[in-house]
Amino acid sequence: MTGSDGQSPPGFSRRGFLRLGALGAVLGATGTLAGCAADATGATTSRLVHGATGGGLKDTLDAHFPVTVPDISRVRNLYETLLRYNPAYEIEAGLAESWEHNPAGDQWTFKLRKDVTFHDGRPMTAEDVATSVKRFADPKEPSAYALTLSKIVDFQSSRALDEHTYQMVLTQPYSVLDQIMANYTLGIVPADYDPANPIGTGPYKYESFVPGQRSQFTAYADHWEHPPTYEELVILDFFDDAAKVNALLAGQVQSVDNLPRYLADVMEPQGANTLVAESGGWTPFTMRVDQEPFSDNRVRQALRLVVNRQEMIDQAFNGYGRLANDLYSPYDPAYIGDQLPQREQDIDQAKSLLKQAGYENLQVELTTSSGIGAGAVEAANLFAQHARQAGVDVRVNKVDSSIFYGDQYLSWPFAQDFWETRMYLPQAEAAALSDGPYNETHFNHPVFEQLIRDAQQEMDEAKRTTLLQDAQQVEHEEGGLIIWGFKSHVDAYSQFVTGFEPVTEMPMSGFRFNLATPVEEGSS
Amino acid sequence: MSTVERAALDAPESGKGEPPLPPTDSSGRPRSAARAWIWWILRRLGLAIVTLWAISVIVFLSTTALGDPVRAILGKDYEVSPDRVAAITQELNLDKNPVERYFLWLGDLLTGNLGDSVVNNLPVAELIGERLANSIALVLIVTIIMVPVALLIALVSARFRGRAADQTIQVVNLALAGIPEFVTGILLVALLSTTVLHLFPAVTVLPPGEMVWQRPSSLVLPVLTLVISIVPYLARILRANLIEAMDADYTELARLKGVPERSVLLKHALPNTLVPTVQVTALQLAWLLGGVVLIEYLFNFPGIGALLVDSVRNADFPVVQALAMIIAAAYILVNLIADALSILLTPRARTGMVA
Repeated sequence: MTGSDGQSPPGFSRRGFLRLGALGAVLGATGTLAGCAADATGATTSRLVHGATGGGLKDTLDAHFPVTVPDISRVRNLYETLLRYNPAYEIEAGLAESWEHNPAGDQWTFKLRKDVTFHDGRPMTAEDVATSVKRFADPKEPSAYALTLSKIVDFQSSRALDEHTYQMVLTQPYSVLDQIMANYTLGIVPADYDPANPIGTGPYKYESFVPGQRSQFTAYADHWEHPPTYEELVILDFFDDAAKVNALLAGQVQSVDNLPRYLADVMEPQGANTLVAESGGWTPFTMRVDQEPFSDNRVRQALRLVVNRQEMIDQAFNGYGRLANDLYSPYDPAYIGDQLPQREQDIDQAKSLLKQAGYENLQVELTTSSGIGAGAVEAANLFAQHARQAGVDVRVNKVDSSIFYGDQYLSWPFAQDFWETRMYLPQAEAAALSDGPYNETHFNHPVFEQLIRDAQQEMDEAKRTTLLQDAQQVEHEEGGLIIWGFKSHVDAYSQFVTGFEPVTEMPMSGFRFNLATPVEEGSS
Repeated sequence: MSTVERAALDAPESGKGEPPLPPTDSSGRPRSAARAWIWWILRRLGLAIVTLWAISVIVFLSTTALGDPVRAILGKDYEVSPDRVAAITQELNLDKNPVERYFLWLGDLLTGNLGDSVVNNLPVAELIGERLANSIALVLIVTIIMVPVALLIALVSARFRGRAADQTIQVVNLALAGIPEFVTGILLVALLSTTVLHLFPAVTVLPPGEMVWQRPSSLVLPVLTLVISIVPYLARILRANLIEAMDADYTELARLKGVPERSVLLKHALPNTLVPTVQVTALQLAWLLGGVVLIEYLFNFPGIGALLVDSVRNADFPVVQALAMIIAAAYILVNLIADALSILLTPRARTGMVA
């Protein structure tokens, strides 16, 4: 959903490995400061150049349908949302200064800031919000984070109450609308929005765009919150990790996102800073609970017990991640993954469960693809090694991205997938409800469904938390996901730039380039 | 790179073992010579068109077999965007039968309408245009540098055959030929751009609308990498040709007549290696144009190789088809020119044209 549909960094082939190995050797073997190389291109301090990972012909400037990593970085600078996630992944006010709902939870009212203007100077009004909602929650083509929303918005009744008040009316109560509205693909655009002329309220204005190559922006000096220090922003697409790192070391770009994790330690001696941020992103193994042998919960539990989670984090994420406990959404206030006993590798227990289930010589096929995301194929191979200790023969079937996300996507018996940080309820709606569009495990549990549906309508936070924790308990005991770790974002930036900080939601300080400032002469 | 060796074997009759004749004076019957050339060119062009047509069928068949393009384009969004599925299906004429689709496509191709990319709806010609020009520029610059350098190395090697200079060159050549081009590239970047010296930009960064040749400094490293990767092969083949020519009877005769070794090499052996030079260079040229993807990736070079890979990954039919046809046409054109040059450079073939 978030640029993970095969557009992730190019696949990790053997050749790619050799190539990166050569790069690592060169960087590791030399400790020269490359600081003096900055501005090799004659860039002035008023221009910030960012190297974004991936991209290609699919690149777009559309506010509501970003596909690639460069797209996400552009969306973050062109557009803003009513609510937003702060660096610690808590909801805070964005273009709306306050929001409230009626006791039933089917009418949500957003009070807009009065000092917000679009890039063409027009003030943002509640009418713009109304048309934006119609666009991103269009039931025929909803934005990635508006799937649930598109089914429950009552477009007839939702309207601008006055110039700075927008009321959203729902066909049924929905308790966590704020968690939805804070997602970055739900930006507010003018009523006459046209992606060919991408106008928003964000800190940078559109200047030029070449798909698969570069896009350029100028500072929006009238930004309501934090006008940028850098007058120009350039975002370059990089297909190759080596090129990206070289460009940073040569001073041609000032920041790069998604640094190859094994290079994180060698950036400092080369004169660049590494930025590491914990996140809630996860790369689960997905077992179909409606197909043998995974239909037997003892088999699912056994496979969850064969994983050496720390080793997987160390190898597939190069150590940049932290343990998970088969539950997702660690930033949800109701998350209990850290309160339940941590599931650890227990080969004896796994063997005994398999024996009970009558699957002593279990053979399964695990489908993986480099298109799933960084570390997926490595994790699959490690899983096969771990499972062998319990006598389970796992055949790793590595397929091309177009096949993985092809006809059989969402019906592979045993596979992997990738998700960015989300809150629990929206995530469960997308991937764990029986009618969820991405229910890879075909999980269909009446008790769980009821808990989720009750939570959707439960406006009392304490009661909702209990419901969500009960639902997590069910998934922890009977779910079809093996969630072994949460990855960290690893990025890098030049020592001549400051203002970046770890952000949970996305890499590179959340792409908030308006907060970046040049390092003063002599202070470094 | 085995194409190079093959090229050497496949090179047409180069007139080896035959003393170079003085340029044939065809002024006596210019009209028939001209007619012979026109006839030759027409025949080759006809063959080229037939070849291109056959390629168009293959390209079309192989691209329609790439899987379900709609799923490939939409990925995870396929399940939730019925409108976009319908729109793309219609745009690609996927509701029509393959034969009908082929002729629709061929008609568009012949009228110069390359269509629109299905992933971003931009005209294919616009997407390809600048990148193609950049790739052609890179290929031409590499060729202009590579040919004289390779010839010079081969000449030195052949002149001092078996001596220290030759042996050193041979060892260095072999070593360089064994290093993959991306490793050469990474080392050059570290040496000249990031770690040791900071002379040239590590990657190509072009302001909008600018072409690579307007930023010569960013061309240095890609060109240097490709030259270092290809010259060893070319030089080895040329050296072998030169040495063969120097062992031939006619060069032996020249030596017996007292011609200095230097002249034997330059006036007698060298002209006979021009034809293989042309043929090998032609194949290298076409190979380079087809895209040196790793080099484009490493230097973020905006050429057609990375575009082709990206389009295949996205199953972007119109772009894949247009690029495949352009690369095929380039191969044919370059080989046509190489063959014409070979005839001009080979006295026997040249006189044969008008005989």
